[in-house]
Amino acid sequence: MKVLLCGYRGNPYSGGQGIYIYNLSRELAKLGVEVDVMVGPPYPDPLEEWANVYKLENLNIWAIKSKDIPVEKLKRVLATPWNFADYLLTRLHIFPEMETFSFRAFFALKEILKRKRYDIIHDIQSLGWATVPMKGYGIPIVTTVHHPLTKDREADLAGNRGLWDKTTTILFYPLIMQGFVIRRIDRVITSFTEGVDELWKAFRVKKKNVSVVFNGMDVDMFRNTGEKREENALLFVGNTEDSKKGLIYLFEAMKMLPDHITLTIVDDGPPKKLTAADMIKKMGLERRIKFTGKLTYEQLVSMYSRKTILIMSSLFEGFGLPAVEAMSCKTPVVVTTAGSLKEVVTPDCGILVPPKDPAALKDAILRLLADKKLRKKMGENGRKRAVENFSWPVAAKNTLEVYRDVIEEYGRGR
Amino acid sequence: MPRAKIWGILAVIVSAGLFAFSVYAVFFIAGNDGLNTLPVDLGEINTLTYFSVAVPVTAGALFVLGTGFWIGWVILSIKVVPPMPEIVEKKDNSKIKALLLCISTALLAAALVYGVYVRSFWALAIPAFVISAVVLGAVFWVGLAIITTRSTLPTDGK
Repeated sequence: MKVLLCGYRGNPYSGGQGIYIYNLSRELAKLGVEVDVMVGPPYPDPLEEWANVYKLENLNIWAIKSKDIPVEKLKRVLATPWNFADYLLTRLHIFPEMETFSFRAFFALKEILKRKRYDIIHDIQSLGWATVPMKGYGIPIVTTVHHPLTKDREADLAGNRGLWDKTTTILFYPLIMQGFVIRRIDRVITSFTEGVDELWKAFRVKKKNVSVVFNGMDVDMFRNTGEKREENALLFVGNTEDSKKGLIYLFEAMKMLPDHITLTIVDDGPPKKLTAADMIKKMGLERRIKFTGKLTYEQLVSMYSRKTILIMSSLFEGFGLPAVEAMSCKTPVVVTTAGSLKEVVTPDCGILVPPKDPAALKDAILRLLADKKLRKKMGENGRKRAVENFSWPVAAKNTLEVYRDVIEEYGRGR
Repeated sequence: MPRAKIWGILAVIVSAGLFAFSVYAVFFIAGNDGLNTLPVDLGEINTLTYFSVAVPVTAGALFVLGTGFWIGWVILSIKVVPPMPEIVEKKDNSKIKALLLCISTALLAAALVYGVYVRSFWALAIPAFVISAVVLGAVFWVGLAIITTRSTLPTDGK
């Protein structure tokens, strides 16, 4: 089978889709699939060992003032219509990378198809306008959407004050485009069952057009280091500026917990990020909550292996990667039942509590901290669940099943 | 002089020249007897000719106005989870402003459609002028940024 993976950002350190492209392409190749990858910058780590890589241009100048754009990029602004569109739209506070990537990909693909043929095209949550005419090439197209961006927009709008902030948020999210395009894609892959309903609510995507494939993660990298576990040490991993993480409820729970229980947050604190730090100060929790800043993978694995429990107080999650990473490192978790978390975490790997309920969060934390045996058992179960369900080989195998199904369906429909 | 700088200077000159020309053409030549009298009566132009220009210009202008209306409408109608308690309670009058945005864009859109219907020169000239000014402004700004930004990279093209 010949597959083309398309993503507007390819670097594994620039967001989820880079990690997804890197690992999925590698595992698909291991399964005998001939994989080509078409990506925009930042470009991925070398994939050439298992895939052909087509690198497309993109200026990546969102949120950069004109005077601060590097001169090498400035020189390219007037070089192609898509670069100029990138520039103009970003000045109007629109995030155009998905749109312009889709047009660049459409024309690049036209050239590639003169030499070779694909059985399927897999778009990784770009859903740009030109994905629709791409169907004219006579190749089925699937897309991966972990969760609809409507959730992110709602979270941002909840935090915005004033017309200008709200206007820029609304302009940032290309929901009209994504809604139009996603309904015309042959199959949508999402990473949790509730995502099927979320996609219907957000974009009116028919349920029969959605397949659920759990996300993958690197279970070889995320394994317990054997370091000594700290006691009464809670861990939170995630973007503290994201109000979907429900940090306020975690802090309220911390206030109810005894003083010897501490929390480590893996993210930047002040001066880079102020929201969580302000909350902590207001609640008088400065002595008990610390920020680590950004960590390397090795440091993160060590952190998971040393801390007592991972906490996720989320109001919504499209997958819940920190929970799976912690499980993979044999760390028990306390998570809310929001979004995908209730599917990712089963009661034998952690404790699930309702979202927005600090008292329930506190009770669950106290219960686990008091029972070392239970923590150990949950840790073992978590590792087993992570390896069996959330490893990249499993994700690639399930994705390949979807490809086969779509190709067969497409063949019947022609 | 580096080639990029030459392109920057050209972008500045061409965009500034075109902008000056469009100001002169729209507001001085066309309206030299006051804004009400025009050398050309659009009513006398062939209907097909008129609409071949009017439709794209109107569509562009309605798209921009529609975006403004949509933004206002989203702010007015979206139900989001209440702000988290940590957000300092500031007076947020964005809903009132969003309502004003909806009303003003709707009125402008109605005025535009009416103007195009009665074949008003200004109904076409103002949107066309604004849209081209935005594009030319962007080209001008890029050119200016290229001219004024000092490159730290070697200029030998390597």
